Amino acid sequence: MTVVGESGLPRDAGRRDALHHRERVRRKIAEHLKEHIGEEDIIAAGPEKKIRVPVKGTRRWQFILDRGQGGGVGQGDGEPGDILGPPGGLPAPGAAGTEPGEELYEVWLDMDDVEELLFSELELPRLKPKADADATAARPVYNDLARIGPRLDKKATLRENLLRNAKRGRTSLGGIEKSDLRYLSYRETPKPKHKAVAFLAMDVSGSMTVDRKRMARLFFYWCVQFLRSRYDQTELVFVAHTTEAREVTESEFFGRVESGGTRVSSAFELIARIQRERYPPEDWNIYILHVSDGDNFAADNARTLELIERAARDAALVGYLEVDPAGGSRAHKLSAFFEREAASLESFVFAGAVDDRELWPALKRFFAKDDVQAAVR
Amino acid sequence: MSGSYTLEDLREIEERCRELAGELGFEVPEVIFHLVRPEEVYFAAANGLPARYSSSRWGAQFEDAYGRYRRGQERIYELIFNTKPVHAYLMEGNSLVAQTLVIAHCLGHAYVFEHNGWLGAVDREIMGRVVAAAERIADYMGAFGRDRVEDFLDACHAIAVHQPQAQLIRKAPQPEPELRERPFDVLFPEEVQAERERVEAERAALRARFPREPEEDLLAFIERHARGLEEWQRDVISIVRSEQSYFLPQLRTKILNEGVAVLFHQEICQRLFLRADRYWEYEQLNAVVTQPHQGRVNPYNLGINLLREVMRIAAEPGEEERERWPWAGRDEPLERVRAIIGAYDDEALLREFLTPRVCERSRLYAFEHLEQDPRLIRISSREADEIRELLIAQHSTLGIPQVVILDADFRGRGELLLEHRHTGIGLDEEYARGTLTEVARLWGKPVTVRTIEGRDAERPLWFTGYPDGRSERRTSPPDRPERFFERSGERELSPRRGYR
Repeated sequence: MTVVGESGLPRDAGRRDALHHRERVRRKIAEHLKEHIGEEDIIAAGPEKKIRVPVKGTRRWQFILDRGQGGGVGQGDGEPGDILGPPGGLPAPGAAGTEPGEELYEVWLDMDDVEELLFSELELPRLKPKADADATAARPVYNDLARIGPRLDKKATLRENLLRNAKRGRTSLGGIEKSDLRYLSYRETPKPKHKAVAFLAMDVSGSMTVDRKRMARLFFYWCVQFLRSRYDQTELVFVAHTTEAREVTESEFFGRVESGGTRVSSAFELIARIQRERYPPEDWNIYILHVSDGDNFAADNARTLELIERAARDAALVGYLEVDPAGGSRAHKLSAFFEREAASLESFVFAGAVDDRELWPALKRFFAKDDVQAAVR
Repeated sequence: MSGSYTLEDLREIEERCRELAGELGFEVPEVIFHLVRPEEVYFAAANGLPARYSSSRWGAQFEDAYGRYRRGQERIYELIFNTKPVHAYLMEGNSLVAQTLVIAHCLGHAYVFEHNGWLGAVDREIMGRVVAAAERIADYMGAFGRDRVEDFLDACHAIAVHQPQAQLIRKAPQPEPELRERPFDVLFPEEVQAERERVEAERAALRARFPREPEEDLLAFIERHARGLEEWQRDVISIVRSEQSYFLPQLRTKILNEGVAVLFHQEICQRLFLRADRYWEYEQLNAVVTQPHQGRVNPYNLGINLLREVMRIAAEPGEEERERWPWAGRDEPLERVRAIIGAYDDEALLREFLTPRVCERSRLYAFEHLEQDPRLIRISSREADEIRELLIAQHSTLGIPQVVILDADFRGRGELLLEHRHTGIGLDEEYARGTLTEVARLWGKPVTVRTIEGRDAERPLWFTGYPDGRSERRTSPPDRPERFFERSGERELSPRRGYR
């Protein structure tokens, strides 16, 4: 008879494997992140800089029968014909299970990582140097190492010493020589001298349903995130319009609910006026983005196009996004009108999105890198 | 309650239980019990065996189950390994009554491990190999990067269960056609020549086929024949395959094994003359362990009810039963149980003893998923025959769809063609495509499986996975590839860059 008091297993083995698992899931999520750009969870993150995304994690793939096709055997009360809730409670623990491993994760992601991943593919197109620019002054960032210099990097120095010792078969620190010393250094990355302003205009009229408004806000949220993280000196001007346009604050812009008809030209009129007063094109790179459901007052289309043509002469980009989650007929929409009348207009880019997942392609269209932009044309 | 007993107490209990089992006629082999922390129990449960190679797959299972334990949603009482000698884990912090039940329960498992033909056939000296394999995999992770090895393990795990389940049954290979000589052949030279050509052609076709016979052992075939695998990768494949083969008999005897273990703890605890309050606690635990599960089958519950039915038939059979089973009314009930432990697996047990009485006791029903919402189920029947058919269908394949390798030179360019040998239901598309991309990574080329759509055997489907992670679905077989010059011409006409 034997009863012994321990298993002899490493004490933290379970946690260690679990940690590896979590790390892997995190990375897989990062890979699939772009598909999640439209998720409310991401937009809800706000200033916390951390987001919570429920994701289907790394699935344990295996061949299984068509789910929902087969029957099975269960236990308990009920008569033939009775309908019961989801089968199964807790899965059998351990061993090589035969049930598919379906897992849901909620993972905290670092907002900086998210932005790095998403925004590395975007840039402000046709950005030109402008007079007395202060948009982004080149700042020295210590991001390099050198063998001489004023600021010793102790960690890098110790690493060099370890490496050198290891090459001679010693596995400890010691005997630091001059050749081990590493100093902090920097590479100056020249940044374009530019000044930029972005006009963000949103249709808040009655025809913008809850869903459409949500998509519009989602789109602008990412625009603002992108501009703030990559071009932090860019000035932002928020415009909301129904049949009248008003300049609003950022919080008003994202919180606004209104009703009434739609006159898109009102927004472009206001933008043109603000631009004349505050942002002369000689000094500023100008970007204009407008989001609407495209249900414009028909008589207003020609006037809108005229204003867009005028704006496009000075602006680096005039973008128009039509959100229409219902995806109905487009014949009377503004986008159909633009397709007929404005397809060849330089600096004018328009896109449509029927669901959240199409917002990312739209962002990429507007903020395409210059070489891609050339290929599109 | 916890900590109010010592290892010495547990030793005494084990000895007493073992004595009682002996009095009932069960000679139980040595079991080494370990009293361990909950975390260790859950870790070993997630791994399937202690000291197994490190993998984030176990990590995920550990985190799941251990999380449920800490939230109070689940509790593993015992864990036992089919090794020689048998090792079992008792969880620290369980009450003495719970430990008593678990010890008696484990003795039942140990008896089954020793005497059952399926479980006895596995390599019970596996621990040495498991530890050595764990060390090799740790070395590979060091040399080639943990992620790379983990990804490769994932791919192996995806198809590890697809191996022949009964090693004893080997189908004879299909014989090659031969030219038979007949007495008057000389008189019909043309016919004989035609026949010779036909036989030659058939033989050539048979020899050109690779594999010659559909191959059930997916990982073994890939290990042997995939090109471009490195030495360590072949080693990992064979580790995963052989460790999985150790677990398959446990899946096939789950109901029997748990039934016997419950029988042990019930019979033994009845005879221990526990104090009234302890007996009450035991009864509660026993009820929890053997309660029916809604929407699926609790093997503890069905197992004990099947064995009790066997014992009833042995002790007090009806007239029909007396005719059907020659031992009915003659054998001592536990003697009959021992005979069944020796030779049966779940399928045989269900086929023979899932009577209407058992269905009623276990409150079994057959169900279908609702078409509108597959998460909901509708009870379709309470008839024993229908329930039995469904249960056997599940257990004869261990719930694993049968998938075999048909062709290792598919489309004339070394792709792999698999066939799903369906029993009326096709493969799940999402999972099939996910699995195929994993297999494609092992094979190094696209892998296709032929199955059917839903329950429609008339509508074949082909899913293909590519090594780069893409996958597709087709309703007709993928074509043979176009000839080279056509492809190169096409490439010139559609440059990749420039058009969007």
